[in-house]
Amino acid sequence: MIVFENVSKTYDLGVVGLQDFTCHVGKGEFVFLVGPSGSGKSTLIKLILKELEPTEGRILVAGRNLGTLTQRKVPLLRRNIGCVFQDFKLLPNKTVYENVAYALEVVGEPRRMIRRKVPEILSLVGLSEKTNSLPHEISGGEQQRVSVARAFVNHPPLLLADEPTGNIDPETAVGIMQLLVRINRTGTTVVVATHDREMVNRMRRRVLQLDAGRLVRDERRGSYDQPTDELGEEA
Amino acid sequence: MRVGFFLSEALGSLRRNWVMTMAAVITVFISTVILGGVLVLGENLNRGATSLENRVMIEVFIKDETTPQQQQEFQQRVLAMPEVKEVKFVSKDEALRRFQETVGSYVTKNLPTNPLPASFEVFVNDADQVDTVAARFYDDPIVDNTPGTQDGVQYAAKTVRRMLDTIDLVRWGMWAATIVFAVAAVLLISTTVRLSIFARRREVEIMRLVGATNWFIRWPFVIEGFITGLIGAILGALSVYVVNWAVADWLRNSVDYLEAYVYPLWWQGEGWPLGLLPTLAVLGGVLGAVGGMVALRRYLRT
Repeated sequence: MIVFENVSKTYDLGVVGLQDFTCHVGKGEFVFLVGPSGSGKSTLIKLILKELEPTEGRILVAGRNLGTLTQRKVPLLRRNIGCVFQDFKLLPNKTVYENVAYALEVVGEPRRMIRRKVPEILSLVGLSEKTNSLPHEISGGEQQRVSVARAFVNHPPLLLADEPTGNIDPETAVGIMQLLVRINRTGTTVVVATHDREMVNRMRRRVLQLDAGRLVRDERRGSYDQPTDELGEEA
Repeated sequence: MRVGFFLSEALGSLRRNWVMTMAAVITVFISTVILGGVLVLGENLNRGATSLENRVMIEVFIKDETTPQQQQEFQQRVLAMPEVKEVKFVSKDEALRRFQETVGSYVTKNLPTNPLPASFEVFVNDADQVDTVAARFYDDPIVDNTPGTQDGVQYAAKTVRRMLDTIDLVRWGMWAATIVFAVAAVLLISTTVRLSIFARRREVEIMRLVGATNWFIRWPFVIEGFITGLIGAILGALSVYVVNWAVADWLRNSVDYLEAYVYPLWWQGEGWPLGLLPTLAVLGGVLGAVGGMVALRRYLRT
């Protein structure tokens, strides 16, 4: 689903975002991306969305080579990638319903299908009661669920989540994570960048650890910290 | 194309950002009033000048004893001059009739004979040529001069020309002002639209993230700009028309020798292809749409 081959990204002032990064994420996988701030997690996600161009290397997403993808085709790429962000990125003037429907309007879904799919997905994330609320009228956890609903309503093959639980309390965070797991079970590849140690440790999924733009660990059923952590907890 | 969706997006955002919408509408309104006002004023001056120019006419009084043949020969000779546009013969009877019209018939009704001479009215193409043409008639044998003078040839010389020169100057000033205000209007519209888009750049960013194509994002903004421009321009054009009409009406009733020109509305035929005011209104709409597109540009670069 995602292939990175020797990808480096250096920003204008010589700041290193990613260095010689190689990895392969298969279809239907659930992957945690961990590492301290500035280690390159956000760079990675922006590269997958083709918001940034790599300085070196080759990136394939859903069978498309991003290096040869023209700017005009970028919207088509993004329709195949659902996105969830720490700050939710909901349209502030649109209701919960309209925010989710927007992702369908964009791909030209017929009105009839929109009217069917949106309530369906809203009940899946447990927001049937808030259909006509505006984002500022609901809690952070609820906003994040709207954002997950919007990301998944198209049933994209890939879902990216950048710190999805960063702005919400731990209990609500568990709910969000369960939602992502359910989405993963439908066959969607899920990539989650996170700082949430407890969550990663509990879930025991594949972990990619980044440090200063380099991949330092790639572990199946891994935990947040390295097994040889100086605290020795998991060793 | 999902016309319904784009239209409701545009209308919804107009309603939500109504303060900004009002600001844009007022901007376009003021620009249209200025532009339309200058155009209407300019056209009136133009027409005034043209009718004044038409009045630059040389009157050549002729002796009573000239034969019709002599008169005809004179008329043809004058018509052959390249500077001359038209020559009209005013017979003795016609002259008397006109005189009666101005002073009233009781003054003239007891006259034993008609004392007024017949005359030719010579119209020239260009007011500047009046002197040259008039000079040719001074010593013509047909002309009825009081001995020792050249009073058989009459024309309003210097004052009229000075007036025409002034009008010419004002006319050029009007065109310059028109251009300046047209440019100002475009800048104001695009600034207003840019401000409203700057306030919504986050929205645009999210739309792109969800996979909206550039045109999908653009259409609502373009429609929004068009509607804003159209409303402002229609209001402006209507105001110009009403004021134009009222002033013309007032002039007609108070100063009877001055007549102001009112641009006809499109259903009254004549005038510009569509009439001036609808043209202004459509122009406002198109400018608004272009303003929307231009202002979006920097947020749509990849």
